[in-house]
Amino acid sequence: MGKYGGWAGKVLRVDLSTGKISTEGTTEKYKDFLGGTGIGYKVIWDEVPAGTKPFDPANKIVYGVGPLAGTGAPCNGRTAITTLWPTCWPSPLVASGHMGGQFAAELKYAGYDAIIIEGRADHPVWLSVSDGKVEIKDARRLWGQGIRMTTVEINQLMGPEASVAAIGQAGENLVPMSVVINSYSHSAGGVGGVMGSKNLKAIGVRGTGSVRIAGNKEEWEKVVKLHLSILGANNQNVVPNVPQSWAEHYNPGSRWVASAGRRWGAADPSIDTGSCEPHNLNRIAYRTNNAAFFLGDKAWQYTVRGNGCTACPIRCHTMLKVPAVSVKYGIPAVGQNTCVGLLFGRSFFKTFPDGPKGQTAIEACMVGMHLADDLGVWDNYGQLQRDFQELYYNGVFNSKVREKEFKGYSWDKYEQGDPTFLFELLPKIANREGELATALGLGTGYLLERWGIPEQQWLENHELLYWKQGHPKHHSNEDAGQCGVIINTQYNRDAQCHSHSNFTRNGLPIEVQKRLAAELWGSSDAVDAVGAFKPMNVYKARMAKWSILRKELHDCLSLCNWMGPWVASPLKERGYRGDDSIESLLYSLATGDQMSRQELDKIAERIFVLQRALTIRDMGTKDMRTKHDTIPDWVFTDPKDKDAFSKGTIRMDKEDIKLAMDTYYEEMAWDKETGSPTAAAYRELGLGNVAHELAKKGLVP
Amino acid sequence: MEHQEAIGISILNMIHNRSASGCLVRAQEILTELKGQGLLESVGIELETHLKTMLKQVLEKNQDIQEIFGRKEVSYYYSVRSMTEAYAGILVWKSEDPLWLIAEVVRESSKVYPSPVPVVSFREPPFDLTLETILECFKAFGEGREYQDICQTITSTGTIFLYSSLHLDSDYAAMLAEWIDVGQADNP
Repeated sequence: MGKYGGWAGKVLRVDLSTGKISTEGTTEKYKDFLGGTGIGYKVIWDEVPAGTKPFDPANKIVYGVGPLAGTGAPCNGRTAITTLWPTCWPSPLVASGHMGGQFAAELKYAGYDAIIIEGRADHPVWLSVSDGKVEIKDARRLWGQGIRMTTVEINQLMGPEASVAAIGQAGENLVPMSVVINSYSHSAGGVGGVMGSKNLKAIGVRGTGSVRIAGNKEEWEKVVKLHLSILGANNQNVVPNVPQSWAEHYNPGSRWVASAGRRWGAADPSIDTGSCEPHNLNRIAYRTNNAAFFLGDKAWQYTVRGNGCTACPIRCHTMLKVPAVSVKYGIPAVGQNTCVGLLFGRSFFKTFPDGPKGQTAIEACMVGMHLADDLGVWDNYGQLQRDFQELYYNGVFNSKVREKEFKGYSWDKYEQGDPTFLFELLPKIANREGELATALGLGTGYLLERWGIPEQQWLENHELLYWKQGHPKHHSNEDAGQCGVIINTQYNRDAQCHSHSNFTRNGLPIEVQKRLAAELWGSSDAVDAVGAFKPMNVYKARMAKWSILRKELHDCLSLCNWMGPWVASPLKERGYRGDDSIESLLYSLATGDQMSRQELDKIAERIFVLQRALTIRDMGTKDMRTKHDTIPDWVFTDPKDKDAFSKGTIRMDKEDIKLAMDTYYEEMAWDKETGSPTAAAYRELGLGNVAHELAKKGLVP
Repeated sequence: MEHQEAIGISILNMIHNRSASGCLVRAQEILTELKGQGLLESVGIELETHLKTMLKQVLEKNQDIQEIFGRKEVSYYYSVRSMTEAYAGILVWKSEDPLWLIAEVVRESSKVYPSPVPVVSFREPPFDLTLETILECFKAFGEGREYQDICQTITSTGTIFLYSSLHLDSDYAAMLAEWIDVGQADNP
């Protein structure tokens, strides 16, 4: 038995060029980086030289999970995939994608905390990980197949309980806008092409082991129960969206949509979601129906149930059964996904004959899910569809694509909102067929460059939600004012951070949010009501730093940052407080490595700063403030030209945002002028060697 | 004495049961129920006075039982074990006047979250208003001075929201309605 619980204890390393398979001790080498993205950043820093391109054999992919994966901790199903990012523009930098599903737990049960894939196979292969037995297998027969068939075939070989993470034709064809998917619908965007470049079709994982909990078992059960008790619905929305007899508050924007009379209509027999009183932990799974939230009330009649990841009671993947799509489109009547995956098909269209929440829109979602989750096409958090609409309706396709190719598409169908249009478009993107589809598959930055469109046009457009480096915003000023803006400057793809938006969208009255904010970040002024933002203050910078560190922590422990953090709760008797220490309590008990909230946050900061260091190294500049942490112009405009800080606008003020960045850099103890960590900041986090390496290149302020 | 206790227990049970099913109880309903159970036959003609005394005792002895008043000093009773004060308030508004219900819900939401309210939500439980009633209320909002602050805004997808101009100005309400109806789903 190892010294620590939680971790499986081994990291698997597979060199596809040589066929060499080896292992190394997890805690011996990576304990200071926890797991998940922490291992990923460490491997890229140590082993992948600056200047490496995403599809080079020298690039590596790290599938990392954390010490809480596969335990009974709620929401522990996340696998972080770290690599050099092919859609990061103008030059690739490190980033990570995150998939839920069952892969993380299976990997732990098989005995591993991470898989490092390196090199390139000389023919298509797939990796079989079955407990201690690891084999590189021939995948030539699978090559060219979609994700669904690949998953079925590997499951037939490994058994139905194996989790299969596979790429589709998009990944095989090195389309940068491609995904890897496990368990049929749990995707991580951006990495499909990197797997394809290594000739790696899939990884199948089956484990029969378990994860040891090092601490007192009764204490562990108590903390798990505490965690369950403070869970809300999807995105930690903690109030229902209609009045309930048990609820003091309700908010029409909440994703807690269960209510007596609202039924999963396609279940047999249909199921009433009921009132879901928050102390009834057996009803947590009924609170959320993301199809109904995103697609409208019509989706209730098609809902079979909620589905989701290991140990997550929220069940954010809604399973839909829409019989009409079998007849109309020849696709399965049942599909499931969540968030932008659920909306994938609908989002291409500007209008539908029966409105944005009508039957045709739902059918477009079904067609989109069916195609994208099989071909393995990524939508870059909806940027693909926003770009598509912009480029079509402004006549750009018409001017950039040859007439014959352009006319080959049924644009009349597209304009009418006919979902069959997706059968023309999506396979072409996956197969790089024609100029239009090939360009779309590159991602926004490279598409704009290829077609000679200045990025500035996208930076100024309020509707496109484009942020920088080829990627969109992800919960910025619309959700949390300056705090959201700061967070969106910090990564090399969309920020994927929900710590702040899950707080501001939790549904509680603004006065309750402010009371909680005062306890968490030192002042009620840390948060403003949405659309009523006030000037910058230090508490907003603290909230931004906390949000980033919690995201990093979740990505390293395998907790879901789409569901957490859990600092608010649905419980009136707790004053609607959650628990800011839940991560450290779970970590300490699982691993036996006693760690306070502050100590664990420090590790999260180390991991985040290592990502920052990698970005500095690979960009070859320490001037992050002006070269990297940039903010699009649309943030400083308003469609009605309302002034910043007036009610009803998310417009920010340029001088105030300069102050916001100053204040944030100060909170991080970084150099304000460059936005880079100082040597002292690196040393404080145990990254003295990183500072030393960067200093040799003149990259430390 | 035993008889008094039986009446008290009966009142308590009634309030608990009705609250658990999401309903308030009016004094008159209690009176009818007790009569139906034959518990008031020996009380004499001052039934209402007696009931008031009994209800006062129930309130004193049971911390979870609360009394809430409607507009015409009508008393309603509920148990906080299964119903919040906020929800009880909605039920009072609902039981007395749909116009008042919509206006108070809209004012409360505009003030505390702040958030406008989608009209369609009034067709669902616990409001359960018919389309006809809602349309009549719309007409009345424009006519009565008491409800001049209740305004509507329509999102880009055609969804109607109501807000109170006492707490939200029109631009702010429009922005928040768009955020709830379209923005949150477009920024998932």
